[in-house]
Amino acid sequence: MSPSTRKNLIIAIVPLMIAVVFLQSLLDPQLKQIRGAQRTPLVGLSNEFILGPLLGLQQAVAGLLWIRADEFFHEGDYDAILPIVRMVTWLDPHQLDVYITGAWHLSYNFTDSSERSDRRYIPAAMKLLEEGDANNPTVYDIAFEAGWQSIDKIKNYEQAEDWFRKASLRKAADEAGRVTKSPPMFVRHQLAHALARQGRIDESLAVWKQCLTESEEKVKENPNDSSVRNVRDSQRHNYLLNLKRKFSRYTHEIDWPVDRARTQSVNEQTGEPTPRDAYLMTDQKEVTSRANAFRRAGEPVPPMGVGQPRPPATRPLWDTAFDTQKGGTTTVTFPSAKVLDIKGQMAVGDGARVTIRLQDEKWREPKLKDFTFSVDRSVTLMQDQHSVRNYTWGRKIDMSKDPKMYSFSGEYYFLILEFNPRQTSPFIQDRFGWSGEGITDKKYLITIPPMREGQPPLRMIRKVYRLSRAQIMGSQPVTEKDVVPNADFDRFQRELQQTASR
Amino acid sequence: MVTMAIAKQTLEDMLRRKILLILLIVALGMIALGPSVGFLSPRESSVVLRSMGLAVILIAGLLITILSGIQVIPTEVERRTIYTVLSKPVQRYEFVLGKFLGGIFTVFVMIAAMGIVFLGVLAWQERHFAPDMLKGVLLTFFQMMLLGAMAIFFSTFATPVVNFFLSFSLFIVGNMSAVTESLTSNKNPVTRILASIVHFLIPNFGNFNIQNKLIHPEVTISNETVFIVQNIVYAIIYSAVLLILAILVFDRREV
Repeated sequence: MSPSTRKNLIIAIVPLMIAVVFLQSLLDPQLKQIRGAQRTPLVGLSNEFILGPLLGLQQAVAGLLWIRADEFFHEGDYDAILPIVRMVTWLDPHQLDVYITGAWHLSYNFTDSSERSDRRYIPAAMKLLEEGDANNPTVYDIAFEAGWQSIDKIKNYEQAEDWFRKASLRKAADEAGRVTKSPPMFVRHQLAHALARQGRIDESLAVWKQCLTESEEKVKENPNDSSVRNVRDSQRHNYLLNLKRKFSRYTHEIDWPVDRARTQSVNEQTGEPTPRDAYLMTDQKEVTSRANAFRRAGEPVPPMGVGQPRPPATRPLWDTAFDTQKGGTTTVTFPSAKVLDIKGQMAVGDGARVTIRLQDEKWREPKLKDFTFSVDRSVTLMQDQHSVRNYTWGRKIDMSKDPKMYSFSGEYYFLILEFNPRQTSPFIQDRFGWSGEGITDKKYLITIPPMREGQPPLRMIRKVYRLSRAQIMGSQPVTEKDVVPNADFDRFQRELQQTASR
Repeated sequence: MVTMAIAKQTLEDMLRRKILLILLIVALGMIALGPSVGFLSPRESSVVLRSMGLAVILIAGLLITILSGIQVIPTEVERRTIYTVLSKPVQRYEFVLGKFLGGIFTVFVMIAAMGIVFLGVLAWQERHFAPDMLKGVLLTFFQMMLLGAMAIFFSTFATPVVNFFLSFSLFIVGNMSAVTESLTSNKNPVTRILASIVHFLIPNFGNFNIQNKLIHPEVTISNETVFIVQNIVYAIIYSAVLLILAILVFDRREV
């Protein structure tokens, strides 16, 4: 090679390398878009997986790790799954099922020896879902799961509504994996349920009506598609049933067996069934019984008679006589250390559930800045529910076998007993209304102001004890003197919130 | 013409090498076994199938490229056949270019075979053709072209063993472009300068990793076609630089 050719070749390298640097500067921002929140966590990866991320095979390693997690799941080795979940979400932040399964696992599968969830993990589960949703902002899946956990596990219906609304505005992947389809109808079905659980019935009905209208169109387009017809039918059922429930609870009580046998149509404005048979009083015995109920409750008796419409199901107010039935009260005993034996009374139908919650006096739900699996082991938080049978409820809760969950390292605790009509079954709500409009109690009724526009106030039952560690260890008895007035408890919680926000 | 003749001879020679054929057969087998991960949920099984397929193509392509690239020139020297070739009216640059093109044709044939099987398996498993995956296969080929040029450059002065580790190490460093890119905005000026040198001057093999986009359709970039074209141009220009360097070094080498 001649010296001049050699020189020319060396000179040619300079513009070529300038072009390389220029191209790299063009590619960098696009690569950031592609990588998104992807990270390359080498620490924590076992030897057989460590080379993959170095070669740029994050997704493949994430897939293999997820297969490994599946094996652990089937072996029942749940503790091993969480680190893998974290690793997979770092390597491939677009594996939706990993976020969803991981969060479900955190919320539902960590339990004490009696299968009670370790609720200290719930903030972590929600944070994982928030992270997953932020990394996948175009698809509905993770937002829907966050909504589902909010409605099913946390019972925070306002939070559930927010997530379901978000999910309903997103897209779903089609069979080819393109994110182009509208999310499935069940997303809005859950939104309607979340609204109903808040007592926002008209908004819930509007969602059902909109879904029903869209499904009617789909049935017209695909008259032979049985799945579309089934969806339409279930929407119609829910829509009409809620219309009638609203009528029954707040206008004139419906006799449901008669409704099933005779109702032919429902007025969509009022919820009134046609013919009127389902909500008319049929005999004098019923008229007398209802009038007496009003008198006993001290409420004015409305005009009544055979053939007249019944009063609304939520009238007169029903006294739950929480812990005062037949002059009795709750008995809270600790026969041995950390074993709670609790029994109580409540004048509601079988199937209503009383929530029993024992928590550190100063416990507040932590606001996690970033996702973490670790929970504060010193926190004690136990929640259980028990159904009312024959006006009584209660159970023995043994927390002594699970010191990791129930450390009882604090000095004082709140034992909170609640009956929340918004969380109860529809057949119980048929008497009390969606927000407890028909409920009363001489000692333990509280009213929670609306949290959202269009939401009625919530009337619920709550009884709170303040217990010392010595009482939980069984060395001192629990008496009615330990009951904290609801107003004092609310004030304490507000102060706690203000301290935390400072 | 001479370059193409050398390339053709190199391709034929490479396709006869058992080690490369074994690598290809193993890779094809692994791609074909991809659907066995179908026990996962339908969505995740698709993600795993796609990512595994592209990963197998990349790993097999990587081994084939390095194993062929590190040997083409040293083998000719070792067998002394290079003397016969260079005693004829063959320029040294023609020899280097011919060897490079022969190696790249080999890699192309093998990646194409794996790509066809991968797309076939995907079509059979998912009941539809996924042409998007071709983009991943195409970018893997250009990634390997750049790696091949680097291996050829090292083979002009390093032994095959040294070349293997050099090429493999630089491939790993080049795949860490996300890390080096983030370090270019480090507060420490020394780190910033060093990271910029590494990021802009070492071949960025991570540029060709479009898997996230292909596997997860919800990932969007401004213009995918522009991104792919820019990557191809990057690979071609950088390969040209490496080949010029290889020619310059080989020209001075005493053989």
